[in-house]
Amino acid sequence: MKLKSLLLGSAIAALGTAAFAEDEYIIGVMSAQSGYLAPYDGPAYAGFKFCMDEKMANGGLNGSIPVRLIVKDTRSDIAYGVQVVQEMLDDGAQFIVSSADADPTIAAAQITAADMVPTMTFAGTAPVLTQVGPHVFGSYPGDNQQGAVLAGYARDQGFEKAWLLTSPDSAYTLGGPRYFGEVFETLGGEVVGESTFSLNQPDFSAIVTNIQNAETAPDVIVTWAWEPDFPAFIRALRGAGVETQVMGGDVLDTPTVRGLGDVVDGVVHTSGGYPEEGSAYAAFIDRFTEATGTTPDNNYYVNGCDIADMIEQAVAAAGTTDPAAVSAAMAEIEDGEATMSNFTFKGTDRMPLREVVVARITGDGEKEFVLRQMADPETLPKP
Amino acid sequence: MTGQSDTVLDVEALDVRYGPVRAVRGISFGVARGGITALLGANGAGKSSTLMAIAGVVPVASGRVSLFGKPTAKTTPDAIVRSGVGICPEGRRIFASLSVEENLIVAGTAVATPQVAATRREEMMERFPILGERRRQLAGLLSGGEQQMLAVARALMGAPKLLLMDEPSLGLAPQMVDTIFSIIEELQREGISILLVEQNAALALEVANHAVVMANGEIAGQGAPADLAGDTLLKSAYLAA
Amino acid sequence: MDQLLQQLINALSLGGIYAMLALGLAIVFSIVGLINFAHGDIMTFGGYGIFLSMVFGFPPIAALCIGLGAAVVMALAMERTAFRVMRGADVISLLITSFAVSEILKVLFQNGISARPVPISFPAAWSGSYQIGGMTIGVAPTASILVTIVSLGCLTFVLRRLAIGMAMRAAAEDFDMLRMLGVRANRVVAAAFAISGLLAGIAAVIWTAQRGSVDPMMGFFPVLKAFIATVLGGLGSLGGAVLGGFVVGTLEVLTQAFLPDALAPYRDAIVLSAVIAVLLVRPDGLLPARSGARS
Repeated sequence: MKLKSLLLGSAIAALGTAAFAEDEYIIGVMSAQSGYLAPYDGPAYAGFKFCMDEKMANGGLNGSIPVRLIVKDTRSDIAYGVQVVQEMLDDGAQFIVSSADADPTIAAAQITAADMVPTMTFAGTAPVLTQVGPHVFGSYPGDNQQGAVLAGYARDQGFEKAWLLTSPDSAYTLGGPRYFGEVFETLGGEVVGESTFSLNQPDFSAIVTNIQNAETAPDVIVTWAWEPDFPAFIRALRGAGVETQVMGGDVLDTPTVRGLGDVVDGVVHTSGGYPEEGSAYAAFIDRFTEATGTTPDNNYYVNGCDIADMIEQAVAAAGTTDPAAVSAAMAEIEDGEATMSNFTFKGTDRMPLREVVVARITGDGEKEFVLRQMADPETLPKP
Repeated sequence: MTGQSDTVLDVEALDVRYGPVRAVRGISFGVARGGITALLGANGAGKSSTLMAIAGVVPVASGRVSLFGKPTAKTTPDAIVRSGVGICPEGRRIFASLSVEENLIVAGTAVATPQVAATRREEMMERFPILGERRRQLAGLLSGGEQQMLAVARALMGAPKLLLMDEPSLGLAPQMVDTIFSIIEELQREGISILLVEQNAALALEVANHAVVMANGEIAGQGAPADLAGDTLLKSAYLAA
Repeated sequence: MDQLLQQLINALSLGGIYAMLALGLAIVFSIVGLINFAHGDIMTFGGYGIFLSMVFGFPPIAALCIGLGAAVVMALAMERTAFRVMRGADVISLLITSFAVSEILKVLFQNGISARPVPISFPAAWSGSYQIGGMTIGVAPTASILVTIVSLGCLTFVLRRLAIGMAMRAAAEDFDMLRMLGVRANRVVAAAFAISGLLAGIAAVIWTAQRGSVDPMMGFFPVLKAFIATVLGGLGSLGGAVLGGFVVGTLEVLTQAFLPDALAPYRDAIVLSAVIAVLLVRPDGLLPARSGARS
């Protein structure tokens, strides 16, 4: 008698958990713990998890859907990342959050295309990444938006001759300055030269010398280079006595770059957001610091949180967790609310239209707010 | 036979193997203090392997080697040399890309203080005037006989009590050979004991006071040169006349 | 003309770094027969030495010296723990051992310090520039060239005039004979590693001064070029390594400076093709080592 009720009891419990598990929303996260993506994926995942935990404390997405996260390390290796995504899909992932760069996201998206599992990158900004399929989404304002806003600012400041420093080794480093150049010329400026570099190139002295000896001297140099190439370049540039204004992409918004001292004094770069006093962003920073003891020092934390909000709103709009429906719903969101800035997917090719901030680095390692603007869809360059 | 204090080198039942091949099979002999022992035999008899094992360059498979009364089991070649042994290996192996003087400097680094080494270098230049003349020349440019003299000079930099010489006459013109052998006799008169591996049996027997004849890794016979010279069977069978 | 001269200075500066790294590789290879793939990690360790000493408050000059010391210590430690045990093993085993050491060190750097680049801020004056006859020349490349020349000069002095240097040249020619002269082999090998570590440390100092950051892969890329330089110059040849380093550095800078934009993505391929072309004509390298049979 006791045995039977025990068996019956466990059977019901098992059914119960199975049923409970069916209501779970499984989200797979590609997060690089080492390699070049670690500085971006790390904070992004930290912010994402923080906000997800907040939602879970309130019962889950929209108050009712519990979330289970599968997190795997990709080691910043694209091939390994693909393997990781496959494993997560095999484990039932219904949404994939991919590493903070276009190339790994493109690779992952080709795997998720089969079942149209929505794939959103932590902070990849090269707009080509959404071209893989209608299930791929950016989360951060795209390079074309950033380049457009920066170009507008540059023209407003009176700059007329731009020199671009690009690298064909990644969609990000190639596209960013080129989008800038396109809008810069539309607004009446002139691109007087372009130098190319290879990622992790040992030496920038040759490029600097070329710029110094250019026939038409530029009054602004634009590059989307990241560490360790940007620090190497700016040191070589300033070391050669070239004082020309330098502008760059959102990847410069890190303490390492700000910590370079005098050489980065006055460097202007784009960014996804800025925590003004009293803003939701500032409140997020306080909450995060209090809970974890770490103070977010870049936008990747808050953007991770925004991704949690985006997923929640897409699931709410779709009314279901079915992958294809969630993708479709996400693509229709207009003026969705998020902490860093609001976002609109409707009418875009799934790189959200969000405000772009322009900031300036000071010689003592601080970041100054310059302006906040939405890119004009009219003059926005196509990917 | 010979008491402990009278032998500078004692080899007992020495075995040397290269993989499965037993190049030296359980041989025993010695070098008396102040004496010259000649190790003779045809090509491939195991003479060089014996010498290299004594020098510690090649491992001893079984048996015992004692230098100055102490066993040398597991001693590295450089430690053996520092204990008072000089080595002139087969082919001389002088450092061709270094000068004559540099060869001597290098030879002196581990076996003498810088001042003593400097003094000895000058002594070598006096003893072998040709080395003094060519002190700055690249050693690779010396003639065969000159290189042999350099090899001997190098081995003497540590004021060794025992000299191991492997085929010093190889490839030398007869006049040079005579010169080398008179140097060998000179060294003996100065009290240095010598183990002399030689293919030129006749010359070796002239200077040695003890001879060991090897064949196929074993000792075919050993004794005073006079005795061996009289043993025609031994001579024809094993000595390259 | 001015531009050509300025690019030549860049070429000498970069070439000098490659030359020193290549020389460190060649010294170890000529004596021990080891192609040390962990050489880049010695350089990276030197860089972290500079970083950590600045974090702990040491002034820049002291930090540089500590960085140099760190590189030497790492080289000696590597020899003592990983390579001495493998002495006498064949080339492949030694190669694999050095790969293993390199991987272990990379993981230690990533987890022990940081996977991301860490900033080093040297005094602003060190990144400055000065004028000569209308040309602007950077302080850092100038210092780099001077340091390279002094280092190579000192090393030449050691190898030519000091007994330990002669012993190293002798060891490169006939290691066993050196032992038969009573010289302690271990000390000669340790000296070779120490010198290669010092050269890597000097390269690390110049490198970080010009780049301002250290990351776990910092030494990997320049040492890769240094390998190419040693092969180009003749594996095992010290003079060849130096020459190869300057040639590779010059080719890199000149292709970066003067190659038309359309060919820019093929830059590395062009430099490497040039190296291959040289090797087709002279398979033993530009200045082959005397004891030829290596590769």
